[in-house]
Amino acid sequence: MTARTPLSAIALVGPVQLMVGGIIFLPAIYVFWLSLNQSSFGQAASFVGLANYAKVLSDPYFWRALVNTVIVVAVVVHLELLLGLLMALFFASGVPFRPILLAIVLAPYAVSEVSAVVMWRYLFEPDVGMMSQMLSFLGLPPIEWAVKPSHGLFMVSLLSIWLHLPFSFIIIYAARLSIPSDLYEAGAIDGASSWTAFRRITLPLLMPALLIAALFRYIFAFRLFSEVWLMTGGGPARTTEVLAVYLYLEAFRYNAFGSAAATGWLLVLASLLLALFYLRRLYREMFGKHV
Amino acid sequence: MSKPPSLSRAALKLLGVLVIVAWSVLPIALIAMSSFKSDRDIFSLTSRFSFAPTLANYELLWSRWGDFFFGLWNSFIVTVGATVLAVLVSLLAGFAYSRHASKGLQASAFFLIFIRLIPPIVITLPLFPVVNWLGLNDTHLILIVLYATFFVSLGTIVMRTFIDQIPRELDEAAMIDGASQMQIVWRIILPMAAQGMLAVAVFVIVYAWNEFLFAFIFTTTKAKTAPLVISEMIGAVEGVEWGVLFAASTVQLLPVLAFVILMQKHLVAGLTAGAVKG
Repeated sequence: MTARTPLSAIALVGPVQLMVGGIIFLPAIYVFWLSLNQSSFGQAASFVGLANYAKVLSDPYFWRALVNTVIVVAVVVHLELLLGLLMALFFASGVPFRPILLAIVLAPYAVSEVSAVVMWRYLFEPDVGMMSQMLSFLGLPPIEWAVKPSHGLFMVSLLSIWLHLPFSFIIIYAARLSIPSDLYEAGAIDGASSWTAFRRITLPLLMPALLIAALFRYIFAFRLFSEVWLMTGGGPARTTEVLAVYLYLEAFRYNAFGSAAATGWLLVLASLLLALFYLRRLYREMFGKHV
Repeated sequence: MSKPPSLSRAALKLLGVLVIVAWSVLPIALIAMSSFKSDRDIFSLTSRFSFAPTLANYELLWSRWGDFFFGLWNSFIVTVGATVLAVLVSLLAGFAYSRHASKGLQASAFFLIFIRLIPPIVITLPLFPVVNWLGLNDTHLILIVLYATFFVSLGTIVMRTFIDQIPRELDEAAMIDGASQMQIVWRIILPMAAQGMLAVAVFVIVYAWNEFLFAFIFTTTKAKTAPLVISEMIGAVEGVEWGVLFAASTVQLLPVLAFVILMQKHLVAGLTAGAVKG
């Protein structure tokens, strides 16, 4: 189509574009400019080139935050997809009281990060929490999220998986429901075992949905802030910080806008990199270069 | 392949159901239940499921944390505002994207999705001084605009998917009869796209009601939302007043939980329309 965009269409998409452009895009560009300057609250900016990036990249706390982020994202997204897949297959195999069970599975979607932190902290409260008691019953030590960094990150991951599993599950389940059942009937006639059916029919046909769910979750898990902030505050001794927490502290506690901005742009670049595959596919679909 | 005995199969299924239920609702149920426990019962091992219910925590919440109810009211205003704004704006744009196709529009749709990838915390840096300068710090308006903005991309995609299903002949006929663009949206599209609007609304409501980061950065006293007050309570109590914390979490959680369960059909429809097709 080579049609020009009618004026009325421009007017209709105007508000959306204005909001997104003015409140997300322009500030993001401005962050880039900030990242090249030295500045703080009420202080005029002075151009310093890539010095902020150099500073951030030589800050051990930044690297700690980056490593923590990568660990949490990898654990959360992959476990979540695996659990979502298992649950989708379980639902597809027929479950009793399906509508009620579906509502139950969706419940965590309604919970705020704040309330979720209250819940899981209570469950894992070292002396008396239900989970801590279960652990001690199994002869395991309690989870000391406020003391041990690895335990803090474990709690954050658990919390994050719990909160976002409904999202991954629904996307995978919807895709599973759209696989025609004759495929399985044909497979059964050919004598395929359920494992073969899973490998040859279910998995390949679910792949696009799994990829979409993975991409969305990578991008969203990468910006993780609230769970960490509310669970550990980045402590003890800045050992459980993730990138968003590092950025927040640099900007709003240490007033180092330049290095916060540099961190921000590194976050943006990483998000774009993660989404590159999806964006390219989308671009091709939209602009008609079907390959 | 021989079928496994059906009895063990049923038992396995039952076990699966139990695990799923425990995982999804046990944390929620435990909080809601514990909010009716006395301090002694909250940490007593014997009274996990049987205890004498009391409203003491709710009374304490009311008398000592009046801030919390103020926060709930703020959350309500912000949620309604963000939802109305996001749904209307997405409806208009979704209509344009559904009915017109041009290079420029396609590019702008790509821009919408692309922009959604920028992490919210990044834009707080430049917005913070600007918001201060405009005097919008600690107001409902700033949260309404921010929440709506972060949902209009998804909202527009969902609306387009739903409006695509409304036959074009309807609005073309209205156009021949001399209806204006806005009249078509208002009279024809809006009633028929109600499903889609509801789907978008569910997302925005859940998001705006629960959001923490923007509320944390852009509000302090006048416009602070319920999640922010609860986070202050977590900081203030440090393992002491759990009961009050449970009461607050329960009050904050239950309305939106009921809402999600009621609207689950729309939530699922929106998720599949927005994520899989978009």
